[in-house]
Amino acid sequence: MAPQETRTEETKPYGAEVKETRPYSPCRAACPAHTDVQAYVGLIAQGRYTEAFEVIRSVNPIASVCSMICHHPCEQACRRCAVDEPLAVRHLKRFAVEQSADYRRSKRKLIPQTKNKNIAIIGSGPSGLTAANDLAELGYGVAVYERHPVLGGMLASAIPAYRLPREMLQQDIDDVVAKGVEVRTNCEIGKDVHLEDLIKKHDAVLIATGLSQSRSLNIPGVEGPGVLLAIPFLEDVAFDRKPVIGNKVLVIGGGNVAIDVARTARRLGAANVSMVCLESAEEMPAWKWEVDEALEEDIAISHRWGPMAVRRKDGKVEGLEVVKVMSVFDADGRFNPSFDNNQTSFIEADTIIITIGQMTNFSFLKDSPVKIDGRGRIEWNPETQMSSAEGIFVSGEVVTGPGSAIAAVASGHRVAMAIHLYLKGKTIEGLPPEQEKEKIAQLPDSVVEKINREPRLKIRHIAPEVRCDTFMHFEIGYDEEEALREAGRCRGCGGGAVVDTKKCMACLTCQRICPYGAPVVTSVSEIRPEYCQACGLCAPECPGGAISMVNYDVREIRNSLKSVIGKMDPNRDKPVIAAFLCTHHVGVKGFDLPGNIRKVPVHCTSRVDIVDMLKAFECGADGVAVVRCDEGSCKYRGINHRVAARVGRAKQLIGMVGIGAGRIELLSVNSAAKDAYRTVCDGFSDRIKEIGLRTVRL
Amino acid sequence: MIVGSQKPIEEIWEMVKDFKKILVFGCNTCVAICHAGGEKEAETIASMIRMRAAEEGRDILVDHMGVMRHCEPEYFDPVMDEVKKYDLVLSTACGVGVNFLSDRTGNIPVYPGINTSFYGAVPEPGIFEELCAGCGDCILHMTGGICPIARCSKTLMNGPCGGTNKGKCEISPDVDCAWYLIVERMKKLGTLEKLSEVLPPRNWSTSRDGGPRRISLEHIRAYEEQEEKKSETSGGKR
Repeated sequence: MAPQETRTEETKPYGAEVKETRPYSPCRAACPAHTDVQAYVGLIAQGRYTEAFEVIRSVNPIASVCSMICHHPCEQACRRCAVDEPLAVRHLKRFAVEQSADYRRSKRKLIPQTKNKNIAIIGSGPSGLTAANDLAELGYGVAVYERHPVLGGMLASAIPAYRLPREMLQQDIDDVVAKGVEVRTNCEIGKDVHLEDLIKKHDAVLIATGLSQSRSLNIPGVEGPGVLLAIPFLEDVAFDRKPVIGNKVLVIGGGNVAIDVARTARRLGAANVSMVCLESAEEMPAWKWEVDEALEEDIAISHRWGPMAVRRKDGKVEGLEVVKVMSVFDADGRFNPSFDNNQTSFIEADTIIITIGQMTNFSFLKDSPVKIDGRGRIEWNPETQMSSAEGIFVSGEVVTGPGSAIAAVASGHRVAMAIHLYLKGKTIEGLPPEQEKEKIAQLPDSVVEKINREPRLKIRHIAPEVRCDTFMHFEIGYDEEEALREAGRCRGCGGGAVVDTKKCMACLTCQRICPYGAPVVTSVSEIRPEYCQACGLCAPECPGGAISMVNYDVREIRNSLKSVIGKMDPNRDKPVIAAFLCTHHVGVKGFDLPGNIRKVPVHCTSRVDIVDMLKAFECGADGVAVVRCDEGSCKYRGINHRVAARVGRAKQLIGMVGIGAGRIELLSVNSAAKDAYRTVCDGFSDRIKEIGLRTVRL
Repeated sequence: MIVGSQKPIEEIWEMVKDFKKILVFGCNTCVAICHAGGEKEAETIASMIRMRAAEEGRDILVDHMGVMRHCEPEYFDPVMDEVKKYDLVLSTACGVGVNFLSDRTGNIPVYPGINTSFYGAVPEPGIFEELCAGCGDCILHMTGGICPIARCSKTLMNGPCGGTNKGKCEISPDVDCAWYLIVERMKKLGTLEKLSEVLPPRNWSTSRDGGPRRISLEHIRAYEEQEEKKSETSGGKR
């Protein structure tokens, strides 16, 4: 979590305060940085793209990067899995990021250094960059040291551009650097600058150098031309140093980096690329989707073979001798492969790239106060994130071992807070590590049955025969309509109803009307979040006004009605219509309505209260339209009769005051049709014109 | 619980139109449950008055507020300073609340925003049925749990009368005959023979006919009075 002081009002979604005290939606709990996925997907669904981006960025300074390469644990945790398929969260993030490019550029600003303390950060990967971001936000002087010519660590030097276009990475880096972070690229600690000088010059030092070195194999024939290591190979490609490979490339390894290496070799023009790994297809550590994409690119994978020797003839690589793997893990589940030496084979290759894991390079720590343990790891206190040396901190893969970019972001946030507290003479020790959050339970079967099946919108890729010729990004982003449709699939877990127990008089109304059986009333009402689908039907029905919605509470809208409706022009020739429009779908695009139709977007019309309709008249509106989705396109069930009843009651009430019941109508549209809103609103406007404009002194 | 229903806006308007600052004051217990006078309904009524005022071109400030109950002082005491800033309180509590509050607002009038109807139950959402008349001398054990005082149109103690018609009352085909229900229920309970006894005329002095009623619980009062005395002798006043 970002230090509290970095959170501005602007980045806080409505209801954020309440939300923090409740169990997290599973998507949010699964994210190492606890990105409020539900909130930003909801904002996308309402067409509020830059606000969605702010929600993402409030906890994740590498939003663009994650929109491309995150392994999205949020999707694996999505409760929609119980219904059909998870939300395409990462792809929606990409959409929000793409829509916010100009916005974020306009928001970049220097944060003046207000604290008389300076911090050196070694390494500019996800963890170092995050820490730099947070510490700069807090007003510290921050200098980032990077041995490569550009910032980004592995993101810039190892992740291939076809997965992470460099301009996306640059957006994130520019945001961070703009805050006033001093950048020292091409600067290797221990070579260009000495650690002790850094320690002298700064009040704290952060080591966030990641796992920057490839492990090699200790097998015969490995030394010599034709055998490469993954990271130097990927770095050569990243910095256009054109590594030499043959036509028949064999990649040893079964992880995500191995897949990157193989697909990169394919893009460099190798006609024949294959992989060999110890694991079976099921055991392979690479993500399934990455394996599938590699297979599409005609990369063959030989499973359950272990490397024995590189065979060479006249010094040239001929291929790899391999031995059959019997098992990869021992009875305790530890990595401990066993082989059947009677079964051997030979895989032909002219180039072999070893991708069996990475390790740290601590040569720069020689003779420094930072102690290394017997197994070559930095000695550190995971509670304080401090190394054995006072004021020298560690974060990211250096200490956590191989992990994801977003996990490194979380580590960066924590270490920034640790450094901040340390420099204030306090300690982070004892503060909860934010990793474990109570989350909302799985969808009960009774609720699953009530949710419409709606398959996930496929993410399109450039065809393999085209994409393999280039390092161009291979994935095609959603267009606006696709993004709105996909975002509309979110069930709003955690954004639903909450009860103010001081106001609840246990009247049972909510329990009686909820279509999903969420409220249970005993001495007060408790709305069970695992059942709640965040429609909002209960809030306006509550006679004590005790229920509010965590996200997009209708009171937020009620308070803005006056400004939305604006001042009445007594000489207007068109009626002013307040139109409550359900926003949660593609129809948002059709909100381009004539000026006399004043748009009041609501999450669902079930959130519109009788008081809201009356208030619109109080503000001078000539007519009020409540525009709901028709039975076929409404994402909720069992709400329309209640909405109709409320409109009926509001008609009765304004009839009593003498305004005329005809000035309110309930309209319904197919929410997937973009222009439907305009048609029904225009028709309503004509009917109100016939009734006449109100002449009321306000 | 006490069931109420909203007054027509016309009647409310006639009551309030000459005031300048009006507080519509909701009660969040019984009358909230029957959607007549809780905070939500107070807000609706306030909005209606404002609209009506605008239609008539009158300049009236109308706000709303709600507390848990109007019939116990501890609930509204904390907001009394706020309440006293208005020149009229339109209470949407039941008649009890209106009475109780108006005893405590000095020169600020408290008017009723709703009609207090009866003691009732909520068999299903939106339906409220009178089942008790608060007569002060309960005989439900003799009538199969069905009250003839509240539910028989004639309040007969020995029924049914000649107006019973296929289980319905002669006043309306929509009204059940309470004595028909009593007979059927007692058949089911196997206690029908009890009805052969004629119930004697009632002493109505326990009901409204005996004048305003007040209950003082000695065991609680004894303690309270002792406490009051103690605080007086120690120089303080509760």
